[in-house]
Amino acid sequence: MAEKKMIYLQPTPVRIWHWLNALGIVTLCATGAQIRFPEYVTLFSEYKSAIILHNTAGFVVAISFSIWFFYYAFVARSMGKIYVPKADDIKVGIFRQAKFYFLTYFLGWDNPHHPTPEDKFNPLQKSAYLAIMFVLVPLVSLTGILLTNVDPLRGLIIMMGGLKILMGLHFLLACSLCAFLFTHIYLATLGHTPFAHFKPMWTGWEEDLEEHLEEHLEEHHSPVAH
Amino acid sequence: MKNVLRSLLMWLCTLLVFLFPLGAIAIVSEECQDCHGDMDTVGEELFINVGVYDNTAHAEMGCLSCHESVGEEHPDDGVEVSKANCLDCHAEIEEEHQASAHGGNATCGDCHNPHRVHGLTEVSGYDLNQQCANCHQNSSVVESHSEWLPQADLHVAKLPCISCHTASEDYVIILYIIQQESEAVEGDFELSDHADLQTLAGDRNIQSLIDLNQDNFVSLAELRTFNRNPGYEKMRLEATLTPKIVSHSVQTLDNRWDCSFCHTSGTEKMQTSFIALPNAEGTFSRIEVERGAILKALNGTPDFYMMGTTRSASLNIIGLMIIIGGLLMPIGHGTLRFLTRKNRQH
Repeated sequence: MAEKKMIYLQPTPVRIWHWLNALGIVTLCATGAQIRFPEYVTLFSEYKSAIILHNTAGFVVAISFSIWFFYYAFVARSMGKIYVPKADDIKVGIFRQAKFYFLTYFLGWDNPHHPTPEDKFNPLQKSAYLAIMFVLVPLVSLTGILLTNVDPLRGLIIMMGGLKILMGLHFLLACSLCAFLFTHIYLATLGHTPFAHFKPMWTGWEEDLEEHLEEHLEEHHSPVAH
Repeated sequence: MKNVLRSLLMWLCTLLVFLFPLGAIAIVSEECQDCHGDMDTVGEELFINVGVYDNTAHAEMGCLSCHESVGEEHPDDGVEVSKANCLDCHAEIEEEHQASAHGGNATCGDCHNPHRVHGLTEVSGYDLNQQCANCHQNSSVVESHSEWLPQADLHVAKLPCISCHTASEDYVIILYIIQQESEAVEGDFELSDHADLQTLAGDRNIQSLIDLNQDNFVSLAELRTFNRNPGYEKMRLEATLTPKIVSHSVQTLDNRWDCSFCHTSGTEKMQTSFIALPNAEGTFSRIEVERGAILKALNGTPDFYMMGTTRSASLNIIGLMIIIGGLLMPIGHGTLRFLTRKNRQH
């Protein structure tokens, strides 16, 4: 017997930010592919359109990142709590979560992590988002800003080793973000229904299934406790 | 026998007739240069930089070929100095020039100083744009190009105008040595001149700085050695796209509006490149570079990157592997998820 409990997990600014980023990053991947491989990718009839859209989307994502940073660090003041894994997360949490994704999920056990507004992400998510939001996105944005201002920022570019190194870095970081996108979307389907994790990012509210321990143990013989 | 001698004599006389003026030209030109090579004597307007002039094709013809009215008593005779019409010799250019945007708007002298004019292969990309800048202000050129061209400032700064605005259907890549002028990390880079490179080369020929075996051919290995030499830390190679042939039909070719004309990888155009080294007299000499230098990530200049064109194949493979890594989760996990779906039907 499961009881539905609704949790307000994603506040409106976070949802706007998320979907703006989603649209921006997908646009950046698509236009970036045409910019790098113009003879194979022809999504836009003109190369120039791909560049203008890429630059615009990049600008939007960079601004959106800054707003996100400002919101969590200074308004919500929950950046450390939400995004930085605790000692316990690193010692136990990461392995427990990895064990769930790669083993016990297939056996039908429940997710050991139940999100709350104060503890939205499981330990693996925290580590992944920490790397993405504090390393990947800032670096890809910075390299992008340098690449769109080659003439005025030439001194800085030379200091970093030249245009080719900068371009290579931007490309590999972008590929990593693209790889993250596939994993991110797939993992989002691992809720109790395939769309269970998509809904809160749209409405803000997540259904949390509180199952009675006794019934749970009787039915599934799972060691998960709440 | 008499006929042979007579014919030989005739040939000798003809040869003398042709050779005599060459000697005379040299003497007369030297006389002209005595005054016109000295700015204090004739002033800035009439000053001729002899070092530069002597390396022009016009120097071979001598001053009097164009300034016929100059006599023995010049300048005391008060006779106005005549100037030849460029088209007297360069008639083939007239039709092309008149049909272009410059026809009726710019005369030969507006772009070319006959005492300094050099061929396309003897000037740097920078020099090429100097003459355009006489009439076309850089700021207004950037502004007008910004209306349609992304990073217009970069294109205008790094490309000779005639790469897009003449009828040359093809271009070659010219590499130049530039050097950091100030000690500041972000200090400006200037085109290295002959004296700069000679100081660096010491007793050696400046060509040996980059063409190590001096065989007038720069291999990919030599290019890489130059780029990685810690002794040349303040020097870098810069590249421009320069028209393959020179033309006076100033226009915008339709295919230049299409960015992929330049920004497409592996084209034949990107395979041909030269190093342009400055000569003592201010001209440049080109040395051929091994094919494909600009397309090789590790050999060409670290500062030259054209989106879409000079992408590195090795990085493409690494990038693809990263993306495949991202797909492994949905594919691998998804397959196991499908196979074990019965375990979660509760």
